[in-house]
Amino acid sequence: MRSAYVRSALWLCLLFSAHVLADTAPLAPEHLTAQPLPPRGAHWLFVFDEAFDNEIDARVRLFDGDSYHQLGQIDAGFSPSMNLSPDGTTTVVATTYFARGSRGTRTDVVEFTDNATLAVTHEIVLPAKRAQTLPTLFNVAYSADGHFVYAAYVTPAASFGVLDPAHGTVLSEIDTAGCVLVIPSGPNRVSSMCESGRLLTVTLDAQGHEAARTMSEPFFDPDKDPVFVQGIQTPQGYAFLSFLGEVHEIDLSGPQPAFAPTWSLVSAAERGQWRPGAEQVGALHRTLGRLYVPMHKGGEGTHKDGGTEIWVFDTTRHERIARWPLQVANLGGPVVTVQVSQDPAPLLFTATGKGTLAVFDALTGHLKHVEQHVGQTPWMMMTP
Amino acid sequence: MRSLDRLFENSTRALARRSSRRSLLAGLGQLLTGAALLPLLPVDRGSRARADEHKSGPESCDYWKYCAIDGFLCSCCGGTSTSCPPGTQPSPITWIGTCHNPADRRDYIVSYNDCCGKTSCGSCECNRNEREKPMYRPSRNNDLNWCMANADSNYHCSVSVILGVAEK
Repeated sequence: MRSAYVRSALWLCLLFSAHVLADTAPLAPEHLTAQPLPPRGAHWLFVFDEAFDNEIDARVRLFDGDSYHQLGQIDAGFSPSMNLSPDGTTTVVATTYFARGSRGTRTDVVEFTDNATLAVTHEIVLPAKRAQTLPTLFNVAYSADGHFVYAAYVTPAASFGVLDPAHGTVLSEIDTAGCVLVIPSGPNRVSSMCESGRLLTVTLDAQGHEAARTMSEPFFDPDKDPVFVQGIQTPQGYAFLSFLGEVHEIDLSGPQPAFAPTWSLVSAAERGQWRPGAEQVGALHRTLGRLYVPMHKGGEGTHKDGGTEIWVFDTTRHERIARWPLQVANLGGPVVTVQVSQDPAPLLFTATGKGTLAVFDALTGHLKHVEQHVGQTPWMMMTP
Repeated sequence: MRSLDRLFENSTRALARRSSRRSLLAGLGQLLTGAALLPLLPVDRGSRARADEHKSGPESCDYWKYCAIDGFLCSCCGGTSTSCPPGTQPSPITWIGTCHNPADRRDYIVSYNDCCGKTSCGSCECNRNEREKPMYRPSRNNDLNWCMANADSNYHCSVSVILGVAEK
């Protein structure tokens, strides 16, 4: 009896569905298009993915922190580096291609992508000397006015190339006497980090050739407490964190680097126990003066282990103002990359070595979203 | 309408014919008996021992020589801890680590060469950083691609080669 009722109900449903389907207009033919990129959002995030398991196929993904959607991708070749132009309209990728995919003639090149379309607009072929290393802000970088692009070279002899992005040419190569990376300041200065803990600063003439060079006093001790090369942009220059948690702020607004007195992320009791560690070790909201650092408990040799907590600091008062423990198990491991948007309602982005991105309210630490697999090995993130 | 009705009815009856409460109980019984018998089966203790050895050997990231390695272990990619996989070329330039061998309680200078010419192996990723230094001290830095000076600078995997006992 019961089965008879069920059978009747099923037939009613089928009849109703058939009636509705018969009265619905067929779907219109579709047109294949290429999706235009929406206007730049306040919470756009460029996620650099080394794709370490298949390293000839790195890429930069553009993620929207408001809609939580991937908006597009920039291809990035083998062991690349990236940066953004000062106005945020262009992404520059310095990379290497092999003629036969994974082998063959090596071509080093700097590629420029229009951030309004994600199309490559032009390129500059480099000598085969590009520094193939982990991403930092200083592997390839723009001058403050966008007139020059600098590319770090390591063969392992160290030097850098000065490029003219407007005309697509290499202007010069500057020998840096063993000092590495290109830390840009002003329209025509480049500083490099030296093994002795000093900064070499080269000033260029209008043609991109060396006009002068100076060497600073050591600002850190590479033997006792090295600094990470993943610098954090500040209003006047860059901050470098040390393995033990000292903050070295460098003012690069004048002709010579000026080193502020150091301050510490850790108390005397925490020193040597808690420490910063990651592929990208900090992010600063430059207007609010809030510094976000992935911290973990560990000893010597754990400086790339990733953070189990985010510590938040007031960079004016040099004080920690929050400790946000991370749900490491849910996020797929410790945080190896951190970035913060620069707007008044900022988002904090963190990513793990397994490619899980988390989006937080950067003012409260409230977890807003977790996005799985924003990349294979997302080792740096940038906000325009 | 009628044919659909018959189809449902036939398929339900067929299912009922193929299964019964008794067959369900029989299946569960077999499963439980099998599970109870499992601990009685002979265990290859030898293979367990080899597995433990393997765990701390050259295919394990915990292996003592890998204290400052960063990359894919060539031992898992067709090579060994001191040889590159077939068809790849060793890098002539390297970074250096100092690792403690618990077996003889000596510290050794270890050269970490990369093997080059094929794309990354992708197996046994290992990132350890004892006494590792950033790029401004390149001889102690494991972030650089040390295949950089090879004719084919593509990175495949990394080996660790003892150079000698570290002087105190």
